Amino acid sequence: MRDTSLKTIILYGLAGAITIISVAPIVWVASGAFKSDIEMMSLPPVAPDLLDWSFIGGFLSENYPFILNSLFVTIGSTFFCVLLAIPMAFGLVNFKLRYENFIADWILSTRMMPPIAAAIPLFIIFNGLGMVNSPVALLIAYTGFNLPFAIWVSMTFIRQVPKELIEAARVEGATWFETMLYIVVPVSLSGIATTATFVFIFAWNEFLLALFLTGQETRTLPVVISSFVGTGRVYWSNIAVATLIQCIPPIIFVFAMQRHIVSGMTMGAVKD
Amino acid sequence: MPIELEGSSRAQMRVKEKRFWSDDRFQRKAFMLPTSIFLLCLTLFPFLYSVYLSLHFVKLTRLSNKVYAGFQNYIDLFNDQLFLTGMKNTASLAVSTLTLEIVLGFIVARILYEIADRRGVNILRSAFLLPMMVTPIVVGTAATYIFTPQQGIANYLLTSLGGEPVGFFGVAIPAQLTILAINVWQWTPFMALLILAGLTSIRQDIIEAAKVDGAKWYHILFWIEIPSILPVLLLGITLRLIEILRFFDIIYITTRGGPGDNTMVMTLYTYQQGFRYFHVGLSSASAVVILLISIIVTTVAVHLLRRSE
Repeated sequence: MRDTSLKTIILYGLAGAITIISVAPIVWVASGAFKSDIEMMSLPPVAPDLLDWSFIGGFLSENYPFILNSLFVTIGSTFFCVLLAIPMAFGLVNFKLRYENFIADWILSTRMMPPIAAAIPLFIIFNGLGMVNSPVALLIAYTGFNLPFAIWVSMTFIRQVPKELIEAARVEGATWFETMLYIVVPVSLSGIATTATFVFIFAWNEFLLALFLTGQETRTLPVVISSFVGTGRVYWSNIAVATLIQCIPPIIFVFAMQRHIVSGMTMGAVKD
Repeated sequence: MPIELEGSSRAQMRVKEKRFWSDDRFQRKAFMLPTSIFLLCLTLFPFLYSVYLSLHFVKLTRLSNKVYAGFQNYIDLFNDQLFLTGMKNTASLAVSTLTLEIVLGFIVARILYEIADRRGVNILRSAFLLPMMVTPIVVGTAATYIFTPQQGIANYLLTSLGGEPVGFFGVAIPAQLTILAINVWQWTPFMALLILAGLTSIRQDIIEAAKVDGAKWYHILFWIEIPSILPVLLLGITLRLIEILRFFDIIYITTRGGPGDNTMVMTLYTYQQGFRYFHVGLSSASAVVILLISIIVTTVAVHLLRRSE
């Protein structure tokens, strides 16, 4: 009623401009995956030949082990993170514990800890165990670092399971374990999926710990990408292909999880 | 043990075993203990170890050779001009990026608020959440590519508009501003969506009532909108401060702290002391300082947030 069509056009124009500013830099680099090093550096810019997959093919045949490393560490740590977080969150919500608030606060505060403060000790520990050249070290580190987030978010959705359901199961003689497995988990599958995708993205994007804890063979994709940029020759085409591959999970993530991102990033403190 | 068990029959033992597994106290422990222990090992223990290392002279290349140093590492740290520069840069980055993010975020939130119910807005929202969720390393490489001095698209656009080419990462002030711009680009959407959540929680009838009473737009802004978004703003500022203290990936890719030490930040300093110069003690001391600042920020924020509820 109060909206004039001019106002609508201006608002859409502004929203469109913001969207383009947000997306264009990434698209610009990723388009380089279809160009040679020279084409990427030529000005005025050359249009990418979207049918030319030779650069992508070349990159994949050389660097596929690092993509597999990334996937192994990311998927593995996501799995263990959820596996460890659900019982803990279930316990914090449903058991009457003496130090419940204290434990919850402690978990929240570990989430706020900067990874750099743990990087050197973790390096020394894993080095002592001879694990610095094994992707398992990074898997363990990621599981630990994403656990606080996973527990905290799990608590918000486990709280939404009706108390009557849980009480009914307990009265019927189900153990806590059975209550969790057969009542709470099926009811909160979407919450678990949300948590898992967040942890997946955090692990997929992580760089600092990977830089400390991986050797030449066990590098993850972000570490490999960082090695392309240096003082000598810069391999732009490789950078572009790696960028494209590295961006696939986050792009799927923002479109699939759009509704949950803000509440997820604030760990349930804000409803989006 | 076997002697005690002699009297009981097999069936009794089975019952006992079942009771043991379904016993509440055992189950509680089984639920909480593994995760707690794992978390303690991976978070608390490394932090305590960091504190321990920060009180010693240690070389990364000769870890077994530790000499107790007292607070000497901390004294060295606060006498190191590079660390102080890192602290100053981190602080000024925090202030400048937060200011810009909040102002721009509010404007973006208002735009989204006006068109919130219309079609196609969800796709726009996804698109502008991308900078925040995309891998920071990729943001760094993208920035390197775009801002390359000779062949970068940024300078190309600048010169074709009649400007002078800029050495984005090569000159002190431009480098700092570019880093600031990258941060603002990446995190303004997050701030905007937080503010949007705050704005949508305001009851429409309050604004209508104010308008009926003759309130102008700036009255509504200062007396209704800003007070209602304060709690989410506080939350956003806290999360961003924590994030800025960790800020590393993009600096590592784009400037490595340069030119000179103009974009040195605390995390990069910690990394370089530990892994380039192998000064584990000094590096740990620096890590402990970052940790302490994080703890202070978190504690103050939790306090303020609890009070505003």
